[in-house]
Order: sequence, then C-alpha cells, then structure tokens
Amino acid sequence: MENKPTIKKPLQGVRIADFTVHAAGPFCTHLLALLGAECLKVESTRRVDVFRKPHPVYGRMEAASFAQVAANKKSIQINMKHPRGAELARKVIGISDIMCESFRPGVMDRLGIGYEALKAVKEDIVMVSISACGQTGPERNYRGYAPLFGATGGLGTLTGFADGPPVEMRHVMDHGTGLTAAAATLAAYFRKKRTGKGQHVDIAAREVATSFIGDALLQFAATGHSPGRQGNDIPGMAPHNVYPCEGKDMWVSIAVAEDSEWTGLARAMRREQWLSDRRYATGAARWENRRELDKEIGEWTRTQTREDVTALLQKHGVPAFPSYHAKDIVEDAHMLSRGAVKELTSPKGEKRLAVGAPWGFSKTPASIDTWTPELGEHNRYVFGELLGMKDSEILALIEDKAIY
Amino acid sequence: MPAALNDTPLDGIVVVEYCRSVAGSYAGRMLALMGATVIKIEAPGEGDPLRRMPPFIDWAKRSALFDYINVNKSSVTLDVKTKSGLALLNELLKKADVFLDDTRPSDRKTLGLAPENVAADHASLLFASVLPFGAKGEHSDYLAYELNTLHSGGEGYLMPNGLALELFPDRPPVKIYGQFAQFVGGTSAVCAIISGLLIQDVVGGQFLDISVQDANVALSCFNIQRLGEGVLENRHGRSFQYGGVLECSDGYVGVLTLEQHQWEGLVKLMGEPDWTKQEWLKDPLARGRRGAQINKGIRAWAKTQKVEDLVIKGQTLNVPLAKYVGPDEILVADQTKARHMFAEVEIPGIGKVPMLTAPFQFTTPAKLAAYPAQPGANNAAVLCELLGHSRAELDRWAAEKVV
Repeated sequence: MENKPTIKKPLQGVRIADFTVHAAGPFCTHLLALLGAECLKVESTRRVDVFRKPHPVYGRMEAASFAQVAANKKSIQINMKHPRGAELARKVIGISDIMCESFRPGVMDRLGIGYEALKAVKEDIVMVSISACGQTGPERNYRGYAPLFGATGGLGTLTGFADGPPVEMRHVMDHGTGLTAAAATLAAYFRKKRTGKGQHVDIAAREVATSFIGDALLQFAATGHSPGRQGNDIPGMAPHNVYPCEGKDMWVSIAVAEDSEWTGLARAMRREQWLSDRRYATGAARWENRRELDKEIGEWTRTQTREDVTALLQKHGVPAFPSYHAKDIVEDAHMLSRGAVKELTSPKGEKRLAVGAPWGFSKTPASIDTWTPELGEHNRYVFGELLGMKDSEILALIEDKAIY
Repeated sequence: MPAALNDTPLDGIVVVEYCRSVAGSYAGRMLALMGATVIKIEAPGEGDPLRRMPPFIDWAKRSALFDYINVNKSSVTLDVKTKSGLALLNELLKKADVFLDDTRPSDRKTLGLAPENVAADHASLLFASVLPFGAKGEHSDYLAYELNTLHSGGEGYLMPNGLALELFPDRPPVKIYGQFAQFVGGTSAVCAIISGLLIQDVVGGQFLDISVQDANVALSCFNIQRLGEGVLENRHGRSFQYGGVLECSDGYVGVLTLEQHQWEGLVKLMGEPDWTKQEWLKDPLARGRRGAQINKGIRAWAKTQKVEDLVIKGQTLNVPLAKYVGPDEILVADQTKARHMFAEVEIPGIGKVPMLTAPFQFTTPAKLAAYPAQPGANNAAVLCELLGHSRAELDRWAAEKVV
C-alpha cells in the first residue's frame, strides 16, 4: 500500500463563517462545504433564510429548496440586532478562515463586522462579499434578483428569439454567481495558505452575468457591431438547433460545426445526396441554408424518440443530446453511476433527491455527508465546544435572545 | 514587472492546457487571470479550431470567442500524436502543477495519455479532465457542444419563460446566449483544480473528473428539488405569474415584485390607475392566481413609458426594476468604469480595445497581460528557454511538423 493520505477532503480543517442568505451566496458556501469545509451558517429567528420555506402542502415541514444548498452545513443563531450580536459574530469569525456574506454593501460595516473590523480580530481572514452590483461604484446599492442581474449584466438581453423580447435568467444565474464566488474564494484561500495574507474578495452578480457575454463585448468593442438575440443560432454552426421528437414537449439538441460531423449527420439520416448538394457544400453554405436544414431535420426527428436520435447520431460522430427535464436527470444511469444525483436518507428515514458534488477527485472525493441542519442545531457545538463558553453562559444568551 | 503582479493568488503555478472545448479553455482563462502561467498546446499549423469560430473581429478572421477565452496564455504547437510530440508534452508536464485536458477518454488511451499512464509518470501532477459528460460513465465518450450540454443539464429545457414564451408558445426551447453551460463547466473545473492544489503538498497529484453536465445540473438543483416535491417543471409552469420582461416605448425592462411593499411601489410607479384599486389586488395569493390580468394592465402601461424614466423612478420607490442593456451600454456605464471591469488590450492591426477582465475582484486586480498571438508564438520561449532545447532541435521538429 502507498502512503494513504490523511487528508480525506480538499478543504478539511477549513472553517467558514457563513452569513449569506437566498441563493447565490449559499450556493458558494455549499460547494465549499461539499469540498470538506466546516461551514457555520449564521441565521436568526428574527431573520431566517427565506429559502428555508416549509412546504406543508407536500407533508414536509422542513426546508425545501434550502436543503439543496445546506446539506453539509452547520446551523447557528446570532441575533445581529442584539447589543451582543456583533461580539458573538466576531468570535465565530475569529475561529474561522473564511467569512462569506451577501448583504447590501455597507451593511456589514454597520453591524460591526465589515472587513476593517474583522481584520482587527483576525488579520488573515478571507472575507467574501457577494452582492448585486459590487462593493464599489455609483450603483453599489442597487438591489436585485437573478432576472435583474441578467438584464443589467447583458446576458438576458442577448438571450431570446431574434424576433422576440429578451428573456429572464433564473436560478442558474444566482448559482452561476455562487459558483464563480466559490472559485474566487478558493483562489484567495490558496494565496492565504501560501503567503499568510488575507483579503476582501468582491463578487458582483451583474459582472458574473456580463462575463458570460465577454465575446459579444469584445466583438462590439472591436467592430462596433453587437450580435443581438439569435435564438438557438451560433454563427458558423449549422445545423444547430433543438428539434421535436416523439412525445409531448420532447426535444433533441443537434449541433454541427465540423465537416466530419456534417458527413456523419447526412449518413445517419440516410441523406447521402446532401453530401453532393451545393446548398450544403461548405460550413458557410450550410449556415446560409440553415432554415431549410432545420425543417428537414425536424421532420426526420419528429417520429423518433430523443434517445434513438441521440444514440444514432453519436454513433456517427454527431454531437446530439436530449433536452433533459428534471426526471430525465434523476433517472439517467450515467448520472446515477457518477453520483451526480442521488437519493439521501435522513437519520429519521425521510428521503429526498439531491444533486451530488459535481466533481470526481481520485484521492479526496467531495460528498454530501449530513442532512439539512435545523435552525440552531449546532449552537451548543459552536458556542460551547469551539468557543469554550459555559452552558450557563450559552443559556443566558439564549434567554436574552442574543443567541436567537 | 510591477511588484503587484507577484501577489496574484496562483502566482508561480504552471498549467499545461491541452483543450479545444470552450469549457476547458475558459478554465484556463480563469486560472491565468488568477495569476497562473498557462501554456496552451495547439495542433501545429492552424491551431485550435476555435480560432476559426465566428463572430470575427477583423478581416483576418480573428475569433472574438477564442480571443476572449485565451487571453493571458502562451501558445505552443505540438503534434501529440507523434512520438517526439508526446515526449515534449511529457517534458512540459514535468514542469507543470496542473494538466488541463479535454481529450475524449478513448482517444487518451490511443495517445498514451490515459490517466493511469500520466499518474505513473507524474506523481504530483493534477490531471484535470474537463469533458461534456465527465471521464466515467456510459456517456463519457459522447460528443457535445454548448447547445447539447446546456440541454443535458436541465436548464435548456426550461428556457424561455414569461413574455418570450407567451409570444412563441410553440417554438422549441431557446438557448442562453453564447457559451453559458461551457463557462459554467470551466468555472467548476477551476474549483476542483484549486482544491487539488491546496492539498497537493500532502496527497500529491490526483485525477480530477470534471463534467460540464454535472456542473450545470448542480446549478439547476432547485429544479431537482421541485421534482422531489412532486412537481416536474416546464417552461410554462415556471414563468413568473406577473411582471418579468416588459416592453417600453424605447426598450425593455425587467420587474419583479416578490414582496408586498414592492408591489405597492409598482402601483405608485404606474401612477395608481383605477384598475390597481380593486380589492383583490391587495392579496398576494390572489395576484398570483390572476397574474395574466395584472400583466395586461402593466404591459399596456409600460408601452407608454421610457426605460430610463422607469429605472430612475423605480429606484426611488424601491421597485426591483432593471433595464435590459446591450454590450454598447455596458462598455460605457458609470458602474463599469468605476469598477475597472475592462482593460485595454492591443490587438494587432486594430489597436487598443477594451476587454472584460474577470468576474471577481481580488485585492490585487486581475490584469490582461498577453493578447492571444498566433499558434506556436511561444514555441521558442517554452521549448528552448523553459525546457532547455536548442534552436536546432526546434527547427528539426518544425521541419518534421511536430511543432
């Protein structure tokens, strides 16, 4: 046997004080928790994360969408409006390596836990702020939800049919922001580990949206021309669309860029005559005549299942895949074999569907290890075991609604 | 070199990138902007096929997408299919901390780049595999571009919602602009890579299996949660009951009133017309049930309004409302300038052009240092200066089309 690593997960031994709420921030700390960080989620009965919505209609009194981004976290309560709230928060941050928050810019300063105040408590803290528009600039106080970042960031503007309106970005925009924040947090923590230096990382959801149109911005800056909304088109690729298949609202995506893929498609469809057709002789010609191609391909796919079309085209070297809905994803043998989706069971035997860690590590796998914490479930562990407060002291703080 | 450049998070980390996919190249871009030295390996001759991907930014057919995602990298051309090419790649990997690769698993075996071979030769190297469906599982050899991966993750099926869907209910789903799913996959790869770097001194190298599909499913996790609650989401069911995209006289805004006071603000913004005074509109649940009726009123009003007026008044009334802006407006916006979101790059034959730097801000700002040059522009610097080969060897390899 080789030397077995004593490290089981990449972020083992890293602690995060997590003041984020809603979708973007909690998704960031969720990813870090999957990687092994001990994430202390700070909430208060006064201000519970609104994503802890119970769904009594479905017989579940516990967290709903919250569960997807909270499984590996520990929950503690601090009432930031209490005179001792800031002090308790600073204690928790004092034993953490990373602090994440998603308040409006300036709020942390007012609460007494802004970056400057934290540096005094813990000089090498990595503080990560996730906001709509960033910590600086004239619009830093603008608030927003995912569709609004999508609008001001330009991604929603360029999304949609060429003859139609822009389109709202949904939770993937929040979570894309959280994903970007996680990458930046890891980088900042890596620097801290090597140099001992902390820093304040500033993530703006609007800028994350804008980063997804970086090519369009470069095109506009260089040529004065912006691509505009273009439906499912990507210039230079044809055919390139989503085609109807057998069944209601069933679709398959087919994308062709290279000549070899085009040849494969014509052969798979038994349209070898296309290979000598002038209309389709080059990539540029296929692009010009893409609507005709769409029509013919749509007629061909319409009577087949998404799976049959996909299997046949992949066999011929053509990129194709069904348009998956949620049920397709959780029943997909490939996804299940990777642990990318799974069914979790609570200590009480309740079951729920969960998205697993999106990466495989050959030596230090990331994973979901615990069930969604109840509000304040880890108060005693954090305030008692980690911070060394006596039981009587904790009880008094609970009584006084500082731990609340 | 300014001292500040040494203070970037990944300073000193060497990444060898052998990628043709947008996801892999985007991961390389992010690592480069975080301070890593990224050496991109391309095929001799024309280089990465993405170089020929429109839209182009000049008559020489420079690709906007390629240039955006390959900034700050060096380019080395190597034919990895040849014995000398593979040997040179292995020499480079000896100097590297990370090997970023998107070769199909079946082709890795043929090339001698199977993970177990690479691990045997390079014990401390992180092998970051970025593939549409990951390196393991029955779809691992499947081919996919952006459109396919977006649909494999669940979000493709759910777009568009709201106004676009109401106007074109029978059309197929519409994609998110550009390379959304690929960039997400690339960003996910960066998370795995830095995680591996954090413990590389203790556990050594390892194989990182990054799947663009997995990353996009993770982003779409609320969709999976809804299914667990018994609801299979579709485009129609997911639309906001009211609000969303509104057409004004001179453009579009988005409005979203999730809280009571925000709805009341919107009523004020509309000038409290008679239809908003109906009793049932006070109840959020009733508003949800009769969203179509509300939309009729809001949309008729919005068409008479100017976007800028609504944005300014909306902010003062605390109505979450935003303008759908295009690239032209983003480039000149005060917020953009105040936050130095763009830096000028010198494009040969065009001149200085602003390019977006990064979607994160560290204490030490990310810098755009090197605009993508021709394939193999850094062959001599990397193969001779870094690896210690002679010019004569380089010339011989060039003649043999190895480089």
